[in-house]
Amino acid sequence: MSSFKVLVVDDERDFLESLVRRLQRRSVDAAGVTSGEAALEHLEREKADVVVLDVKMPGMNGIEALRQIKQCHPEVEVILLTGHASVESGVEGLALEAFDYLIKPVKLDELIERIMEAFDRRKVVGELTGSPPPDQS
Amino acid sequence: MNLVDHFRRLFTQAPQTPGADEVERLRADFAARYRCFRDLLSANQRALEALADLEQAQAGEHSPTMAFVRGRATATAVNVFRMIQNLEALAPDRYPGLGESFKAVQASVEAALGSAPAPTEGPLVRPLEQAAIGGEALCGPKMAVLGRVAAELGLSVPPGLVITTRAYALVVEHNGLAEEIARLLQIADLERMDSLLATCSQIQGLFMRSEIPTELAQAVQEGLAALAQAAPTPLRLALRSSAQGEDAAGTSFAGQFTSELNVEPTRWDEAYRGVIASLYSPPAVSYRRHMGLRDEDAAMAVGCLAMIQAQAGGVAYTADPLDSARQGVLISSCWGLPKAVVDGSWDCDLFRVTPGPPLRLAQSQVAAKQRQYVCDPAEGVLPTLVGPELRQEPSLSRAQALELAQAALMLHEHFHGPQDVEWALDKNGKLYILQCRPLPSSGATKLEALVSGAEEQLILRGGITAGPGAAAGKVRWVQTGGDAVSFQEGEVLAVEQPLPRWAPLLGRAAALVGIKGGAAGHLASVAREFGVPALLGVGPGGRDLAPGQEVTVDANGRAVYAGRLPLPGRPQSGQSLPDTPVRRALAQVIAQAAPLNLLDPEDPDFTPQACRTLHDLTRFCHQKAVEEMFSLAAQEHFPLNAARQLYYHAPMQWWIIDLEDGVRKPLGGKYVCLEDILCASFHAFWEGMLEVPWQGPPPLDAKGMASVMFQATANPALATGVKSRLAERNYFLITKEFLNLQSRVGFHFSSLEAMVTPRASDNLVSFCFRGGAADPGRRRARLAFLDEFLAGLGMAVSIKGDALLARSEDLPAPECLTLLKALGYLIMHTRQLDMIMASPQRVEHYRAKIAADLAALGPPSGA
Repeated sequence: MSSFKVLVVDDERDFLESLVRRLQRRSVDAAGVTSGEAALEHLEREKADVVVLDVKMPGMNGIEALRQIKQCHPEVEVILLTGHASVESGVEGLALEAFDYLIKPVKLDELIERIMEAFDRRKVVGELTGSPPPDQS
Repeated sequence: MNLVDHFRRLFTQAPQTPGADEVERLRADFAARYRCFRDLLSANQRALEALADLEQAQAGEHSPTMAFVRGRATATAVNVFRMIQNLEALAPDRYPGLGESFKAVQASVEAALGSAPAPTEGPLVRPLEQAAIGGEALCGPKMAVLGRVAAELGLSVPPGLVITTRAYALVVEHNGLAEEIARLLQIADLERMDSLLATCSQIQGLFMRSEIPTELAQAVQEGLAALAQAAPTPLRLALRSSAQGEDAAGTSFAGQFTSELNVEPTRWDEAYRGVIASLYSPPAVSYRRHMGLRDEDAAMAVGCLAMIQAQAGGVAYTADPLDSARQGVLISSCWGLPKAVVDGSWDCDLFRVTPGPPLRLAQSQVAAKQRQYVCDPAEGVLPTLVGPELRQEPSLSRAQALELAQAALMLHEHFHGPQDVEWALDKNGKLYILQCRPLPSSGATKLEALVSGAEEQLILRGGITAGPGAAAGKVRWVQTGGDAVSFQEGEVLAVEQPLPRWAPLLGRAAALVGIKGGAAGHLASVAREFGVPALLGVGPGGRDLAPGQEVTVDANGRAVYAGRLPLPGRPQSGQSLPDTPVRRALAQVIAQAAPLNLLDPEDPDFTPQACRTLHDLTRFCHQKAVEEMFSLAAQEHFPLNAARQLYYHAPMQWWIIDLEDGVRKPLGGKYVCLEDILCASFHAFWEGMLEVPWQGPPPLDAKGMASVMFQATANPALATGVKSRLAERNYFLITKEFLNLQSRVGFHFSSLEAMVTPRASDNLVSFCFRGGAADPGRRRARLAFLDEFLAGLGMAVSIKGDALLARSEDLPAPECLTLLKALGYLIMHTRQLDMIMASPQRVEHYRAKIAADLAALGPPSGA
C-alpha cells in the first residue's frame, strides 16, 4: 500500500465503489464514504492526506464539506470532483483552497496524478508551516 | 496558515542580512514559490488543452454534446482561475483588476453556455384551439399546428387542451431536476449504448417520481372537467408530446417521444409524467446528440386530446418522400388505431391519390391485415385479430381516401409544403386530423440502382426503399436491448420490425434492413434524416442474412448482395459543417474564450483590464508569473538562490535557478559554472545542444561559441522574425534530479521537464511546444515535423490545436538521459522551423540532416 491515505466521498455508490477499488488496485490506500457528514466523522477517526470530494450530494454538499474539512483539518488536501460542471462552484471551491476541481468523467490516470500532486503539496506546505509531516506508515 | 498568507507575510518583511536559518527558510520559500509557479504552469497547460479540445471539436465532423462543451469550457475557466490564484500568491495585490476581468469573461462564457430561458409567463394549461396564440413556445409546434388546423382550416381535430412548456418548466423547477439531469448527462459516456440506456433510465426515473405542483394539478383538472362535459361519450384521453423543436424542418424527432393512448382522465398525471420523461428516452437523447441539439433547450408541452375510437387510421404524405417529383398523396392505412402504421409494425394498405382537379385514386394496394390496435375497455390499447371478413378488405373506401387526400392537400397548401399527416376515422366515419408536420424529403428525384452486374452475389431482391443510397457492412441482427449494446459502428442493422427504439443505432449504422415496415414508419424517417440507406419490408427472405456476414445493401436498387461491392462515391455531405444549436453555443464559447488580444508584454495595454478572453488571461498570468518568478526584484528576496547566468567559456544567455541541491556548494557570484551543476539531466540536455555544431562549421574558440550561442538563444528574430526581446530569457530550474526549462521565443513557447531518478517508475521526460503566430498550414507542418522525430525517439506525442505535447515515462535513468540529449539537439536545431517550412526542398534537406544527426548522436558522456 502507498504511504498516504485517500478518502473518496461520493453519494453515488457505484461510482464510489469502483473508484475506491481501482485506486486500491493501483496500491493507493483508499477508503470511501457516501456523504459529507460521514467524511467529517471519518476524518475524526482516521487520518487522510487527500480527500476526493463530490460537489453535489444530498445533505451537506461538497462545498460545505470542503469548508468544514479545511476548518477542522487544514492540512488535508481536497480535490473536488463534479458531474455538474459549473465555473461558479469551481471558483468557489478553489477559493476555499481546494487543490483542484475536476470534471467527471475523469480518467483514472489523471485523477491519480492529481492525487499525487496534492499529496506533494501537502508535504511541502507541511514542512513550511511546521505542521506535522504526513503519515509515512 | 495558508499559502497565500504565508507569502503575504514573507513579502512584507523588510530584507535583512540572512543567517543560516534564514537562508534555509528562504530556500524553502523559494521552493514553495516555485511550486506555485509550477502549479500555475500546469493550470496554464490544462486551460490551453481544454481550449484546444473545444477548437478541435469546432473543426470536427461530428457535433459535440453540450455536456462536452460545458465540461471543457468549465475546465478552461476553472484553470484560468487557478492561474490567477497562483499569480496572486506569487505577487499579492500586484495585479488588481484580474479578478474583475475574470468575472466579466466568465459571465459571457456562462451566457454562451446558458440555455434559452424557459417561458416564465403564460398559462399552465391552454385550450387546444388557442394553442397557436403567441407562437409555438408555449404549446410546442405539434399542438400549435393542430390548433391552427382547427381554427384556420375548419378541419376536425379531437377536442382537447395543452399542458404548456411553462408547466414543464414548473415541474422541473419544483422537483429540482435541471441540475441533476445535467449532472447525469455530464458523467455519462453517451457513445456507449449501455451507458446511454442507464443514464436515460435514471433521468426518466426522476420524472416518473416527480411531484406535480398543486397549481398545475388544479389547472389540468379544471380543463379536463370542461372537456368531459362537452364529450358525448365517457372521456378518454390521448396524451401526445409536443416538444420544442420536435417538428422543426430537418430535425423531426420522428417517434422519439411517447404518446399515451386511451388514458382514464383521473390518471392523467401518471401518463403526463411518462410523456415528459420521454424527452429523455434513449432515442431522444441520442437524436439530440446526433443533431447537435442542446438537452437544456428541450422542453415539452403535452396535448391532452379526446381519444378517437378509430375504425381506421394511418398516415398520409402529401409528397413522395423518396421522389419529390412525383405528385400526389400517399396514404398508408390500417384497421383500428393508426399506431400500427406509425410504428411500422404490420403490413398496411397503400393508396395513391393524384392531384386534380378532380382528385383521382390512382393506385390502391390492399394488404392482408391480420391485426389491429384497438382501445382496451379498461385503459390503454391492445392488439387484436382483425375479423376474417375484413382482412382482405381495403381499410378506406374510395370516397374516404379522396376526402382524406383533399384535407391533406389543404394542409400542404396552408403550411407551404409537403406534410406528414396522421389521421383517424371514428366509428361514424368522421375524419379527424391527429397530427400534421412537415415531411422531410430526401432531395432525391429518382432512384437508380447503385450496384449492377453482381447477380451471382444477390442474396435478396425486393422491399421498399425507405432511405436512399447504398452501403456495405457486416450484418448485425438486433432484437433485444442486449443486441443493441453490442452493435458496432459501420455494421448493417438488420431488424424484424423497424421499431423507433432502434433509432439510436442509426447514427452508427452503415445501412438498415427490415423484414417488415415501409417508408412511412418513424425509423424510416430517422434513417432518411441521418442519410442511412434503408431497405424495409423485404419479407421473410431477409432472414437469410447471416449474422456477421458482409453484405452490400443497395436501397435504391432494392437488393442485398453478398460481400463488399464497389459503390459510387457518396456525394460529399456538404462542405460546410451543419449549423446546430450545440455548434452555435460552441462557437460563442470559443469567441469568448479563445481569441488572443494581448500580444506584446511591452505594450502599455498589457494589463488585467485589457484581458477580454480566457486566453488573454492565461497569457497575462503566464507572462507575469514568469516575470515575478525571475525578475531582479523577485530575486532580491533570494540572495543566495537567485537566477545566475551560466558560464561556459563565457557568460551564456541561459540562467540557472537552483531549487534545492542542483549546484555544488559553495555558491555565490553572478555566474554558475557548468562543472558545478550537479543535475545530470541538465548535462545531457546541454551536451545535446552543443554536440552538433549549429549552422555551418563549428567556431570552436570560446568567443565564437559564445557568439553562436548568444545568437541562437537571445535573438528571436532568427526564429520568427519578430523583434528581439532580451527580456525573454531562458531559465533552467534544477535540482539534482529535476530539470525544467522554460523558453519563450516570440510567440512560441516551449517547456521541457525532466525528473530522472534511480527509480524508473518516478521518471518523466515531457516536452511541450506551442506557438500560434504562423498560418495554420505552416503550424501543422511544423508540428508534424517535430512529431516525426519525437515519435521516433519513442515519445508519446499528442497534438492538440497548435500545441504539441510529448511524454516518456517510467524509463530507466540512462535512457532518459539519452532522450534528453536528443531533445537538446532538437530544440537547438529546430529553432528556424518556421523559416524553413515555407520551402519543401529545405524541409527535406533539414529532415535528412536531422535524422542523420540523431542517428549519430551517442549517449551522453555522463550516463
